[in-house]
Amino acid sequence: MLSYLLRRILQAVPVVLIIMIGTFLLLKLAPGDTVDALVGDMGGADPQVIARLRAEYGLDQPVWVQLWIYMKKLATFDFGWSFVHEQPVATVLFDRLGNTLLLMVSSLLFAVSIGSLLGMIAARKAYSLTDNIISTLGLLFYATPSFFLGLMMIVLFSVKLGWLPVGGIQTIPSFYTGWAYVWDIARHLIMPTASLSLIYLALYMRLMRTSVLEVAELDYVRTARAKGASEMRIMIHHIARNALLPVITLLGVQFSTILGGSVVIETVFSIPGLGQLAYQAVIQRDMNVLMGLVFLSSLVVIVVNFLIDLLYASLDSRIELS
Amino acid sequence: MSRNNRWFAPTLLSGLIAVGALSPVLAADEKPKRGGTLFYHMVAEQRVLNPALRASNGVYEITGKIVEPLIDRTYDGYVGVLATEWSSSEDGKTITFKLREGVKWHDGKPFTCDDVSFTAMNFWKTLLNYSSTLQANLEAVDCPDPHTAVFRYSRPMPLNLLVAALPDLGHPLPKHLYEGTDFLRNPHNAAPVGTGPFKFVKYERGQYVIAERNEDYWRGKEYPYLDRIVWRFITDRSAAAAALEAGEIHESGFNGISMADIERLSKDSRFDVGTKGYENNVAHSTIEFNHRNPALADVRVRRAIYHALDIDRAIKTIMRGYAKPGRGPIPSTGGANYTDDVRVYEYNPEKAKALLDEAGYKPGPDGTRLKLRHRVAPWGEYTQLWAEFFAQSMREIGIDVTLITGDAPGFLNAVYRDHDFDTANGWHQFRADPAVSTMVWLRSGAPVGTPWSNQFGYKNEKLDQMIDDAASELDPEKRAKMYHEIQRLVMEEVPIIFAIEHPFISVTNKKVKNHHNTPRWNSSSAYDTWLDE
Amino acid sequence: MSLVETHIEAAPPSGWSEMWRRYRRNRAAVLGLILLVLVLLMAATAGLVEPDDPLRRAGEPLTPPFTSLATPLGTDQLGRDILAGIFHGARTSLLIGITSTVIAISIGILVGAISGYFGGWIDDVLMRITEAFQTIPNFVLLLALVAIMGSSLENMILAIGIVSWTAPARLVRAEFLSLRGREFVEAARNLGVSDAGIIFREILPNALPPVIVFASVIMAISILLESALAFLGLGDPNYASWGNMIGMGRSVLRTDWYCVAIPGIAIIITVLAFSLIGEGLNEAVNPRQKKS
Repeated sequence: MLSYLLRRILQAVPVVLIIMIGTFLLLKLAPGDTVDALVGDMGGADPQVIARLRAEYGLDQPVWVQLWIYMKKLATFDFGWSFVHEQPVATVLFDRLGNTLLLMVSSLLFAVSIGSLLGMIAARKAYSLTDNIISTLGLLFYATPSFFLGLMMIVLFSVKLGWLPVGGIQTIPSFYTGWAYVWDIARHLIMPTASLSLIYLALYMRLMRTSVLEVAELDYVRTARAKGASEMRIMIHHIARNALLPVITLLGVQFSTILGGSVVIETVFSIPGLGQLAYQAVIQRDMNVLMGLVFLSSLVVIVVNFLIDLLYASLDSRIELS
Repeated sequence: MSRNNRWFAPTLLSGLIAVGALSPVLAADEKPKRGGTLFYHMVAEQRVLNPALRASNGVYEITGKIVEPLIDRTYDGYVGVLATEWSSSEDGKTITFKLREGVKWHDGKPFTCDDVSFTAMNFWKTLLNYSSTLQANLEAVDCPDPHTAVFRYSRPMPLNLLVAALPDLGHPLPKHLYEGTDFLRNPHNAAPVGTGPFKFVKYERGQYVIAERNEDYWRGKEYPYLDRIVWRFITDRSAAAAALEAGEIHESGFNGISMADIERLSKDSRFDVGTKGYENNVAHSTIEFNHRNPALADVRVRRAIYHALDIDRAIKTIMRGYAKPGRGPIPSTGGANYTDDVRVYEYNPEKAKALLDEAGYKPGPDGTRLKLRHRVAPWGEYTQLWAEFFAQSMREIGIDVTLITGDAPGFLNAVYRDHDFDTANGWHQFRADPAVSTMVWLRSGAPVGTPWSNQFGYKNEKLDQMIDDAASELDPEKRAKMYHEIQRLVMEEVPIIFAIEHPFISVTNKKVKNHHNTPRWNSSSAYDTWLDE
Repeated sequence: MSLVETHIEAAPPSGWSEMWRRYRRNRAAVLGLILLVLVLLMAATAGLVEPDDPLRRAGEPLTPPFTSLATPLGTDQLGRDILAGIFHGARTSLLIGITSTVIAISIGILVGAISGYFGGWIDDVLMRITEAFQTIPNFVLLLALVAIMGSSLENMILAIGIVSWTAPARLVRAEFLSLRGREFVEAARNLGVSDAGIIFREILPNALPPVIVFASVIMAISILLESALAFLGLGDPNYASWGNMIGMGRSVLRTDWYCVAIPGIAIIITVLAFSLIGEGLNEAVNPRQKKS
């Protein structure tokens, strides 16, 4: 177990290094730097001020020197300073992490639970009308751009019906406490979660349907059925348990994709999260923030994948960690 | 266009004084109510809340309520805020301000000349964008007594230039909170301490800023009327429009929502929609030429392009009527420095084609006379549509325009540093006096890489001289005449097309009273704003 | 990620007619094909709808649909004909979908084949790089690439290809791992066929079917990615594209919703077509899943 963990870490180090150096060089290749972005935000500046800012931020140094300085700091988990936010990068990231995690977790939960449920129903009635409807619906979900859905929902639920807030993560200023506070945030999360999770819902549904169909072919399920176990019991004890494995695998892979997806959704719903931050960091050449963000999300993906392997092993005794 | 004339006409008469006489359009007979929270939309997050470090509309929208300038601009002209009177020496090298007495910073310390001197030398002269050129010749600010500040310049500084610039570029900071610190990383840059009617309370990144009533405001106990102002950051413009309709926000300024929504809400009886209150913030939509391209160095080609632009149509379709044709680098709200006695270029594609023929750019076999690479300014809906409109119009006279889009750093870099473009469109804001940030678009010699300066390869020595002379002319009348000459020359030569002049637009919930009652209301302090709830 | 990648396995080589027979049995897949033909027809006839320039001013700005014969689906803010935009946009979308898929698949095949065939440290290095690409949020990478290269159509296609190659690479690698030990490969090696020959002539043809199935998924994703970029204002304005139409129409969403809805529906139909076809192909290639 310990050696397995060690090997995983050893494998992860080069991956993270490739990502960090690649990201750094990529953003350096882009035309303009963060001072250009700042000056753009300000609506212009005198040449003296521009030169001064560039020197202040170390942007007048050669690229390799900048990279070396950055990597040295990163080795001590110092993420540096954001010139755009005028805050330490760690603070910038931490401020937004919660919102994005909330959005991601609620979307994944929604997608996995509803998706799996629909997938099971479709598989139980495979090739029936219900199955066809569910499957087609799934593909339709999959084909709908999330921002398009988000915009349409805003028009319907916020503007026409007035049921849900148009954006943000909480009522501002919020004086709610306790459950009122939780409910307030939940209301703000409904539309973003629905928009973000739709495509994943379709994926999990599809996957669950296929897995259930495959597992149902297996001998021990046939045996259970022959023994007269109730359909419900078979579904839960024999089929769902095993069919969940590929769903969990996909979950690990999805973590970084869904972070990418949140770029658009957080923009549509004005949610101050990491997705919006990533987009802004790119267009503002906010190198330290983008690097910190990429580092953080890589760690998350690697750790989540590791945890999933563990979970996998505990769900399926046939798999050994080696 | 009728909608705009109401707001433009007075300023056209004779500048500011006349506006003041015509301005009491807002019901003055209603008795103000105390209390309430004003919700204010911000389309972009402002991370630096220090108007002596960052000169931009977005910064003023927030800090204007918290940190006050020496002088503000009203419809009755320039009035003192933290200064009470100002005068210039005969040679224009010494400008003296009397400062208001009995004013306290929000932390209770008194406001004195030391603060002004400290900020002028350490921020206005060195760190503040646009101000550093303005104050380049500032040698020192002396404090003969705590409430007198004497600005000493090495070259004559026209008093009316300085006064016009100070509402935006003249915010003193509390010296005791900045002295001896790293100015760029001082925590008060994001938690401002000022003398204004509202005290900074909290800045929740990405979400909101809150400021609360200053109980000890120098204008008197009755001010401000509001209890609290909350600025909400809503980056999606459609979401912001919906928030306005839902009553979640009261005010969205600086074109914070899309033009279509602005037009829609202008028909909604719950909102006041207009350009009043932005006379100090008028911008131009431009077409910029790279004069290094021999075709564009030919004035006939530039004039042909001007003639091919149906400006009235652009105003109608893109700006929904909230704009007017430009008449050169100075907008019609520019006061005495503005003139409309200039050459104009009416929409006339035939004339445009004739000019191109004359210049030797005849249609090729496929009808194309000229190919241009156009950089699209990434400053939002206006500039994007304006670029596409430009391309459409050019194709009609046989100029094939390829649009190149990119993000802000990419655009600024390509146009202003690498000069990698044939034409570009832009958005230039006029800052009260042509010498502040306008003439640098035309004067040659700006260091490469300076955004919003003449990086177009245009050099006209006569114009350069005229610009320099006007900048240090002390007599306001002579100075105005010099700027008229400059405008006439620019409209003859068309180094840049200042195609459309547009003030910004606000959408304001009618519950808000006393709104937009100064020419820079969104940047100003809102001390007399109240809510009828 | 895809609807199908996790359950694709090597297809038993079978005749095209047999595959077509199986494909035909799936009504949804046939619907997908019909939709695709529709989109292809739109692309082919775009020149008839608007021979000159779909971006030219065709009428009064913001004419609603079904009110003018000249512009039956209405016009946008600059008076551009939406019908012409949809037809020419079909060309653009197909171009983006097909070209970026070819790029992604080519990179994927190259990396996957080399990795799977040679194994060892080459495999290690290539797989670490693949993991790096999979770990970094691909939309963020796409934004960065577009920021660097600028958002011309060619560059967007290239950028979309660059962020989409990892899944096909893994797919190809898995195929190669399982095929490289087979007798026919050994036989070729004994005959002195070069590595490149074995990779491209012997193994690759057998490893291709799942990749081709997956191509339809990449096409669908490419079209969605372009629309998301355009939505964020990073589209190429020199082409009529559905994404651009949505991006521009977003500001008139509340008043002139059709500017967004019409291209939105076009995107949904096209992506749906590719997804349905992918499903159908998958079942046709892997018939053992078909149970009735």
